[in-house]
Amino acid sequence: MASRSRSRRTERDISASRSDTSASTSPERGVEDDDNDSLMFQTNDSQSSLAPSISPDSDEEALRRAIEERCRVSPISRLPAELMIAIFSKLSSPADLKHCMLVSREWARNSVGLLWHRPQTGKWQAIKSVIATVRRGDSFFDYPTLIKRLNLSALAPEISDGTLQPLSNCNRIERLTLTNCQKLTDLSLTAMLQGNRSLLALDVTGLDSITDRSMFALAENAVRLQGLNIANCKKVSDESLEAVAKSCRHLKRLKLNGCQQLTDRSIIAFARNCRYILEIDLHDCRNLEDESITTLLADGPHLRELRLAHCWRITDQAFLRLPLGATYDALRILDLTDCTELQDAGVQKIVQAAPRLRNLVLNKCRNITDRAVLAITRLGKNLHYIHLGHCSRITDTGVIQLVKLCNRIRYIDLACCTNLTDNSVTQLATLPKLKRIGLVKCGNITDRSIVALAKPKQVGHGGPVTPSVLERVHLSYCTNLTLGSIHSLLNSCPRLTHLSLTGVQAFLREDLIVFCREAPQEFNEHQRDVFCVFSGVGVQRLRNYLNTDTAHTRRVLFEDEGTMYDEDGEQPEVMDDVTAQANGMGIEDMDEDFGEDSEMIGEN
Amino acid sequence: MSASATPQVGEHQIVLTTSDNATLPVDREVAERSILIKNLLEDLGVDNTEAIPIPNVNEAVMKKVLEWCEHHRKDPPASQDDDSDSRKKSTDIDEWDQKFMQVDQEMLFEIILAANYLDIKALLDVGCKTVANMIKGKSPDEIRKTFNIQNDFTPEEEDQIRRENEWAEDR
Repeated sequence: MASRSRSRRTERDISASRSDTSASTSPERGVEDDDNDSLMFQTNDSQSSLAPSISPDSDEEALRRAIEERCRVSPISRLPAELMIAIFSKLSSPADLKHCMLVSREWARNSVGLLWHRPQTGKWQAIKSVIATVRRGDSFFDYPTLIKRLNLSALAPEISDGTLQPLSNCNRIERLTLTNCQKLTDLSLTAMLQGNRSLLALDVTGLDSITDRSMFALAENAVRLQGLNIANCKKVSDESLEAVAKSCRHLKRLKLNGCQQLTDRSIIAFARNCRYILEIDLHDCRNLEDESITTLLADGPHLRELRLAHCWRITDQAFLRLPLGATYDALRILDLTDCTELQDAGVQKIVQAAPRLRNLVLNKCRNITDRAVLAITRLGKNLHYIHLGHCSRITDTGVIQLVKLCNRIRYIDLACCTNLTDNSVTQLATLPKLKRIGLVKCGNITDRSIVALAKPKQVGHGGPVTPSVLERVHLSYCTNLTLGSIHSLLNSCPRLTHLSLTGVQAFLREDLIVFCREAPQEFNEHQRDVFCVFSGVGVQRLRNYLNTDTAHTRRVLFEDEGTMYDEDGEQPEVMDDVTAQANGMGIEDMDEDFGEDSEMIGEN
Repeated sequence: MSASATPQVGEHQIVLTTSDNATLPVDREVAERSILIKNLLEDLGVDNTEAIPIPNVNEAVMKKVLEWCEHHRKDPPASQDDDSDSRKKSTDIDEWDQKFMQVDQEMLFEIILAANYLDIKALLDVGCKTVANMIKGKSPDEIRKTFNIQNDFTPEEEDQIRRENEWAEDR
């Protein structure tokens, strides 16, 4: 819009400079209308009434006077279409836009495009009304071509071919979102894709009935496609995706996870043809082998995010075969969860080839050892997120070195790394930006670890002391832990919103369990018995309770539950202290964290 | 700012000539809130002392616009992705700007036109938001009254549009 409005502005400037007033007048508007959205209407008579054919001078003069009079009576009519559209674009409510449409023909022309850009489809009644209008042969405007975004996922279970089919004449849609509309088949989807050259993004996640037919239709039409999400479309095969790869060369974001038929053939086709791929998610594409991964990396200079969880066949060779010395600086996120064949040599090569990796997930890569962890330390400050869960061969030596060299780590998971001791956690506790730590089933760790985590951080030598920024702490099945250390953790981590202590005997007490979250439905009785997760307000309540409990030297429990954790009552002094400290934190630091957060949400 | 017949031009000042031939001296920094003027000055070079003609804006409007620029002279430049959530924040207008925009409609739309011509994005934005707020929550008829607009639909057409856009309700 910005560049277009600029070009129109110049046009106006030239014409406006002919007159000596600063007002823009209607005839110019007629010219401008030619390239704005609102022109896509069928009935042309409203425009001709504004700007009738101008031939004799007297007519021109009469028209000029009429316009002057109109601008005097109604000053808003001085604004050209582009500015009326700019005003209407500030209206977020569709009802307001509808009211604008009903004001006059000119207002209707300038607001209809905004109103129909993304029709409301959250309620069945609304969808029905949109469909009814789109199907009319004699509608006031050419509504179908005005729709740019269509999202039917809010009513996914009810959406059928009968719903989508009537919308197939909306062939300028840029974003089509049909997530989990599982009743849909090739029938309506191919009709929808046919003749649409504008499509930029298609999301058909979970449409497990659709087949290669839909993907061939996509390949034939969607030449501008940039985002494709066909997660769990199990019937889609290499054949059609190869066609998509060859014709949709602008693809940037691909989610093909769970398309279990896919093999190296289609992935290599994407790598070779689509040179602008930024993100590709292939988790659960279990037939993939090394060659596709090597090609994606070697041929995709922009690749930023590569997800390969459960691609069991991948081995070290996928990385070792990359050209010697080549680096892939764009790569930030690599998920290799459960790629069980991976060994230390593979990890070493990954770190060499992608020195700017920020998120590295090696969960369940059970073969890797401290040698791999030592290689990872070369990522230094770039590393923010590391998952080494179930890498049970790693030891304190690796972790301690990792913490020393990668001190920007915000998230670390070491679940089931059973060799680890308090020495690792004591070192982890020094990470100044650590927000989430996972130590589930690290059975050796004791209260010493938790006390270390609770200690305020000193930034650099002699730097300011700041309270912990920990938000999520996972300590389930760390069976040695006791109440005292967790109590001090609660009081020194003002941002804590998640604390899991499932299976830790010291917490399976009636008076503490009341602050716990409900166990998930699918849990069996035993699982329920040991379930112990505090989250959100539960953390707050547990903290208040423990503080009150201590202060009142173990007052009789359940005597009067209300006073135990009075939500808006007085807070223990300790809490006020930490909160005050937290508020005093550097603003820069906070900003950076927020940025990080939103990015993580986007990525997951 | 003095608007005397023979304006005194300070060291960091430039002179603008309006459509009605008024000459307005103004701090260069203030005038450069306008991207159009900024680019013009860059093209003319640093030593320019000639008056800059602004043929599309008259004196009254130009003074008003410069008042806004003066108040916002130290604002950081707008970032590229300002547009992204501007739709949601339609009611958010800074208090001073709200007061500034309390003018008759003629002046309001002249300010918007001038902001557009002079390429002062933030002022254009405030102007558009002000008008949007005058539209919000009103019925079509109330809108017509507010802006003195003639309804040129036939009753049948009005009815048809109402029907075709039935789905559009408050979010």
